[in-house]
Amino acid sequence: MSDEEHHFESSDAGASKTYPQQAGTIRKNGYIVIKNRPCKVVEVSTSKTGKHGHAKCHFVAIDIFTSKKLEDIVPSSHNCDVPHVNRTDYQLIDISEDGYVSLLTDNGSTKDDLKLPNDDTLLQQIKSGFDDGKDLVVSVMSAMGEEQINALKDIGPK
Amino acid sequence: MEDDRVFSSVHSTVFKESESLEGKCDKIEGYDFNQGVDYPKLMRSMLTTGFQASNLGEAIDVVNQMLDWRLADETTVAEDCSEEEKNPSFRESVKCKIFLGFTSNLVSSGVRDTIRYLVQHHMVDVIVTTTGGVEEDLIKCLAPTFKGDFSLPGAYLRSKGLNRIGNLLVPNDNYCKFEDWIIPIFDEMLKEQKEENVLWTPSKLLARLGKEINNESSYLYWAYKMNIPVFCPGLTDGSLGDMLYFHSFRTSGLIIDVVQDIRAMNGEAVHANPKKTGMIILGGGLPKHHICNANMMRNGADYAVFINTGQEFDGSDSGARPDEAVSWGKIRGSAKTVKVYCDATIAFPLLVAETFATKRDQTCESKT
Repeated sequence: MSDEEHHFESSDAGASKTYPQQAGTIRKNGYIVIKNRPCKVVEVSTSKTGKHGHAKCHFVAIDIFTSKKLEDIVPSSHNCDVPHVNRTDYQLIDISEDGYVSLLTDNGSTKDDLKLPNDDTLLQQIKSGFDDGKDLVVSVMSAMGEEQINALKDIGPK
Repeated sequence: MEDDRVFSSVHSTVFKESESLEGKCDKIEGYDFNQGVDYPKLMRSMLTTGFQASNLGEAIDVVNQMLDWRLADETTVAEDCSEEEKNPSFRESVKCKIFLGFTSNLVSSGVRDTIRYLVQHHMVDVIVTTTGGVEEDLIKCLAPTFKGDFSLPGAYLRSKGLNRIGNLLVPNDNYCKFEDWIIPIFDEMLKEQKEENVLWTPSKLLARLGKEINNESSYLYWAYKMNIPVFCPGLTDGSLGDMLYFHSFRTSGLIIDVVQDIRAMNGEAVHANPKKTGMIILGGGLPKHHICNANMMRNGADYAVFINTGQEFDGSDSGARPDEAVSWGKIRGSAKTVKVYCDATIAFPLLVAETFATKRDQTCESKT
């Protein structure tokens, strides 16, 4: 296992990152862990028992943080790890010079450990909206101890 | 009379006077069952029965020549040979090196047990087979193959989870057992590759599988025990290849080097001197060519027995007679060769009965 580079929120302490689910029951648009990465399934095909052994599920999935494509083949009766995926909305307060954002949490405190997203389109939307002085709410996706802004909700002009 | 002359001309054309064959060729004679059933005599009568029975008889003769040959039989001592090669007792101990090749169907069949006998008693020196020839040997240690029928319908069998090989049936479950058995071995091999810098080759993999299966009914087990190399250049072409494919998803990085194996295989032929080499090849395809090609590296084998049902008219190497291999330098022009056009499941056990097994019995008798 490679060293985790991510910081854990105190609320994650002790919480399980994944839960087991039988491979044969994981569908398209579901989630799966491949090579220790949380992924969204974009393609599933199955092959029956035969010369290649047990019946198998062939998954093609996208890493939900890096958008990298990953594949796996699992016997359909085996359990796979499925990541817990959470989405939380935060109001955007500030963008620092080094690319971090300040977010207002529900309990009134600020969250300052998130970077701006890598996705260019989303990045530009956030920056230009902020520069325009709009009230911005961002959606943050978290899974397996990792977090990333993955969507922007535009409340409207100030 | 004109008619008489024409008649005389036709008569002499149709009834050409024959050369006497007495003393030049063997007479065609089959086995006379009035003398009762005597299997050794029955087998010896093959030679004079004709057609493929005669070819089988000749094949038996060629294999017996392979087995009987000693370096001492060569009257001329090579000028550049070593001092050891001049020693009479050394010359008496140098035997023909035998390459045995077979396609996977023979391991699916009961000929597997004939092959295992030859390997168990170290009667052959090098083995070449296809991937199916490997996995079917191992799978039979995990679960049996059954007799079926050639005409069982495929769709019906598919619905029952049964696979047909000719008139044999292999349940899907056999391959599930094979998968459960072999995947952890691949994990261990990958670990050894990383931690001990082992560079796996097909033949090293097969020796490892023979060790792991640890079952005396397996020829791979005996090949491992007797240190007889088993080469499988088409390693990916079978269930074993399927398992390597799946393993590459679970834990990628396993490397199996084919270059070391072609070096080792061709070396078996190149470094055979001062031995002669003999080939016994059941079926065609990859095992046949791989053995012939290796022997090309030494300017050809000295003995060759091919047993298969292939024909030449499509230009396939599988169907080619030994003389085609002579044209490539894979068999020497002076070699003793024969091709038997017969299902090897019939011909090979009979051949072994009259060659390896009989000679082994004789050897055991003389030791008593």
